[in-house]
Amino acid sequence: MTEVITDPTPPILHGPSDKEKKYDRQLRLWAASGQQALEDAHILLINSGSGTVGVETLKNLVLPGIGKFTIADENTVGQADLGVNFFLDEDCLGKLRSECCVRLLQELNPDVQGNWFPKNKNETIEQLFDGTMQFTMILYTAPITRARMELVLKYGQQRNVPVISIHSAGFYSYFHINLPGNFPIVDTHPDSTATTDLRLLTPWKELSHFAASLTDNIQSLSAHEHGHIPYVALLLHYLAKWKEEHGTLPSTYKEKTAFRSRVASGARTDTPEGGEENFDEAVAAVLKTISSPGLPSSVREVFDYTPNKMESTASFWIIADAIKQFYNKHNTLPLPGSVPDMKAQSTVYVQLQNIYKAKARQDAAEVLKTVRSHPRGKDINSAEVESFCKNAAFIKLIRGSKSSEASPTNIKVLAEREFENDANAPMMAMPLSLFPIYLSLSATTFYPTSDASDIIGTIKNVFPDAASTPRVVEAAEEVARANGGELHNISALTGGMVAQEVIKIITKQYIPIDNTCIFDGITSRTQVLRI
Amino acid sequence: MASSKKRDRFNAQSLGMPLNDKVKEARVLMVGAGGIGCELLKNLVLAGFGEVHIVDLDTIDLSNLNRQFLFRHEHIKKSKALVAKEAAHKFNPNVKLEAHHANIKDSQFNVDWFKTFTMVFNALDNLEARRHANKMCLAADVPLIESGTTGFNGQVQVIKKGITACYDCTPKETPKSFPVCTIRSTPSQPIHCIVWAKSYLLSEIFGASEDESPEVDNSEDSENAKEIEKLRQEAQALKQIRESMGTEPFPQLLFDKVFKDDVIRLRSMEDMWKTRRPPEPLDYSATAQLDSREAVEKTLKDGQRVWDLQENISVFKDSLERLNKRMSEMKATSKGDAAEPTITFDKDDDDTLDFVTAGANLRSIVFGIETKSRFDIKQMAGNIIPAIATTNAIVAGLCVLQSYKVLRGEFTSTKEVFLSPFAPERLLASGRPREPNPDCPVCSVAQTRLLVDMSRATLKDLVEDFLQLELGYGEDLTVNHGNDLLYDPDENENLARKLSELGIKGDSFLTVVDDTERNPRVNLVLNVQEKTGLEGKPIKSLDIAGKQTRDEMPTPASPIPRRKTSVPQSNGHTNGNGTSSSIAGKKRSADEALNGDTPDSKRSKIVSNGAEDGVIVLDDTDGAILIDDD
Repeated sequence: MTEVITDPTPPILHGPSDKEKKYDRQLRLWAASGQQALEDAHILLINSGSGTVGVETLKNLVLPGIGKFTIADENTVGQADLGVNFFLDEDCLGKLRSECCVRLLQELNPDVQGNWFPKNKNETIEQLFDGTMQFTMILYTAPITRARMELVLKYGQQRNVPVISIHSAGFYSYFHINLPGNFPIVDTHPDSTATTDLRLLTPWKELSHFAASLTDNIQSLSAHEHGHIPYVALLLHYLAKWKEEHGTLPSTYKEKTAFRSRVASGARTDTPEGGEENFDEAVAAVLKTISSPGLPSSVREVFDYTPNKMESTASFWIIADAIKQFYNKHNTLPLPGSVPDMKAQSTVYVQLQNIYKAKARQDAAEVLKTVRSHPRGKDINSAEVESFCKNAAFIKLIRGSKSSEASPTNIKVLAEREFENDANAPMMAMPLSLFPIYLSLSATTFYPTSDASDIIGTIKNVFPDAASTPRVVEAAEEVARANGGELHNISALTGGMVAQEVIKIITKQYIPIDNTCIFDGITSRTQVLRI
Repeated sequence: MASSKKRDRFNAQSLGMPLNDKVKEARVLMVGAGGIGCELLKNLVLAGFGEVHIVDLDTIDLSNLNRQFLFRHEHIKKSKALVAKEAAHKFNPNVKLEAHHANIKDSQFNVDWFKTFTMVFNALDNLEARRHANKMCLAADVPLIESGTTGFNGQVQVIKKGITACYDCTPKETPKSFPVCTIRSTPSQPIHCIVWAKSYLLSEIFGASEDESPEVDNSEDSENAKEIEKLRQEAQALKQIRESMGTEPFPQLLFDKVFKDDVIRLRSMEDMWKTRRPPEPLDYSATAQLDSREAVEKTLKDGQRVWDLQENISVFKDSLERLNKRMSEMKATSKGDAAEPTITFDKDDDDTLDFVTAGANLRSIVFGIETKSRFDIKQMAGNIIPAIATTNAIVAGLCVLQSYKVLRGEFTSTKEVFLSPFAPERLLASGRPREPNPDCPVCSVAQTRLLVDMSRATLKDLVEDFLQLELGYGEDLTVNHGNDLLYDPDENENLARKLSELGIKGDSFLTVVDDTERNPRVNLVLNVQEKTGLEGKPIKSLDIAGKQTRDEMPTPASPIPRRKTSVPQSNGHTNGNGTSSSIAGKKRSADEALNGDTPDSKRSKIVSNGAEDGVIVLDDTDGAILIDDD
């Protein structure tokens, strides 16, 4: 790569505008706040084995502009490294692999700081955990010694640092996310079509009045006016009529379809198009909007959780508690306040938007008042409360990992469940479990060049039926055949998936997987399991 | 070479020698060297593919650097194909790389050229080029691995003629267009004003205004014909103002024209505003107190905030001056050239983006529509598709995995994979390849290359001699060249003319439609190849031999298959592995390992159809691509 570089020190980009331009295509996903979180982060990679998957992961973090990274690796570069690792070249032979990778990775983005360790023979990787350095997240790749792995996991627990382990060999890989504590997410980026919350069954006074004012003399309106009543007002109008006639609002599927026909029949057909777009929109929105949303299970989980003493001081839990109180009082979450695009005159549409916004502000103000009354609530940013209210229906809690979960007993239970599912898989047309891949790879965590019988022997410790389960034997043989070697392509793909999850965790946006992803390159499949 | 053998160790070990050798012998084409392309090229080079050709017409832009990792800041404005080749070569000197800084649609890349590749990878960012590569690969019968990403989403599919669905087997979404009157007279949403600023204002002042934007629907009906005529006059007047470009009063002239005089005219049409809020003209002189240079600079740096009226006017004037300056420089350097220089909208060109932002916002203010930040307008005006390194890395990796199946000829065990980033239980959704759609206008056709002596071949030679006499077509047939009708029984005046006089050249594609009612043939696509000094008849098929009986015969044999009625696609079961027959203790070979998914797929081998059965729909569907990355 150095040969194509004509200028060894590329200019640092000037001004916010250049940076904004460079990162434009990703800012549209995680916005300035997510970018800032990335730029404040420091990632440690403990690299080993043939060393590609970790470096490929870093590549995908250096490009979008992670703040700092450190590679800890004791190996020197050999011929086989060149065939599998893109971030090494002929000049690197015999040199420290960590230093060479840092140098070439850093060329990708001059905004990023790279460092490596150990720099001399007196230093050991263990020294990184003496507390002088701060890491946002730690990645380690297999193989690794048991002692080092335990040290890293303990450090992660104590310092509240997420740890991700990655293992790639032959056509297989997996990665496992170890979150030290519970991980709540507010900004989950739900699908925009899922976020429409118009409260048509429980309109408040201002909304009802406004809708009524638009539909009062619906029969005598001009063609233009009639064709531009926003569908929200149309639905409220027909709902009011329905209630007059039936005493209740439409609730069953049958009632809703009848209601839908009723709305459709209100459209005028003497128009040039033979119908009216706003009525079409109203008809299309019936099933989606004429229902009380209920409390999503992920939100229920947050409400039901009792934060421990340390957690309870975090703004997330203080706001969550305030929203829970709001819910208990009003039997509904705060209004998000956004209004989807619809056929309407622009002034009317703006008025409608303002009515929803005003109500959303009013709800948020009530939540804020509760937050402020909390002993630690006075310093919480009101913008954080507002954004929480907007996303209230989509907040998510990922439980932290517990060391007991990866215990032999639990692995056994999991294996039995997965293989029982497999027995029914052909009948249910379900794909087979990839758990055998996890079992076989993790059996080589400390001994990368084990043969198949060693691998099966190790698996037997947790799953006694290993030798008689053909798919376990098959996976063990495939892992043995790879003999600890990585395929660049599999490691590049895995590095893409790991980096994606790292970005989700660092930006606290989108929902990370919980907590292990197994990849089978032979069938191009993944499976996510909580292990 | 000992060192290269060592370098190859892991590949040979995991792929097994037979496949590893196939990889080394493969000659592949990669179309596009952008986000997916950079990742793919790295993977291909390290997987040891023998020869890789790279075609990309694009140059490197700053906004590529967050993911297209073969490029650096100093490469901006250089050819993607060439820089990618140079950067990747170093990492495996054993791989032969060739770069073409060119459009894949260029005539040098003809069907014969496509035929020289083992397979083709599409790493493209637009529908048109994807469709072209798809068509060429079908015509050349070369397997195509098609991929795309947008944000966290992405997909990969393998296209093999007659075995799996092609790119055009599913219709693609059409890009949104707006009626001209909405854009020019009655906007109601921010996007209407953005399209106006970009496709009308900017292109009337700085562009070749005869270019018609696909975003504006100019079709008229009787009702709006009058208004459209008025709009034409308005545009004419704007052209007059264009003449005064570069003079001191130009910014105000333009401003007064589009934000005052035109608005006053529009407002005077009282009928239009009975039920709408009438537009409010803006007054340039009333806001004569323009922002200082420093203030404008500050505004320009703040692209995430929505600017107010004053700021928009200042940016309008400032960006107009910048564009003016550029235009006069371009005119000075292009002196003598016949074509007038033009500036067209580019989302990554600040001058045009600032102008469109300010123009759109000022128009929004006139019509009482919500104004937007430059950041948002950039996305809306530029059809920006978010793009990140991680998604491209995943998709490129999947492409290479599919290529192994292709090298082994196992097309039915390839996977169509969708990234499912928001289904936390899996991350990838992989399924069986879809079967070709028998109604697909692109792949469910018969194809042949045609040697044509251009100096003498006439349409008559083609229709009567080749199609009717040789292939046995009846009277009822149509020959199309793109959207032009060349021949049908009522349109036969061209018969005596030479094909060269009818605009047909080497590598033209002609479509023959059999219009017989009973048992018609599938459409036949002819790929014309120039051949001078052809002996005997001036038109010969390269792929179909023999004289055929005509349709009047009771059971006409035909080298061109007959249409079948479409059958609903069987969905099969997705993804099942079936039962594995591996015996404990036996060491598995790489062959077996790669076949891990096949017990079941062998059973359900798709009956090859494609050309054999197809009903043709002639509607040329056009549309926007959902999944993109540049």
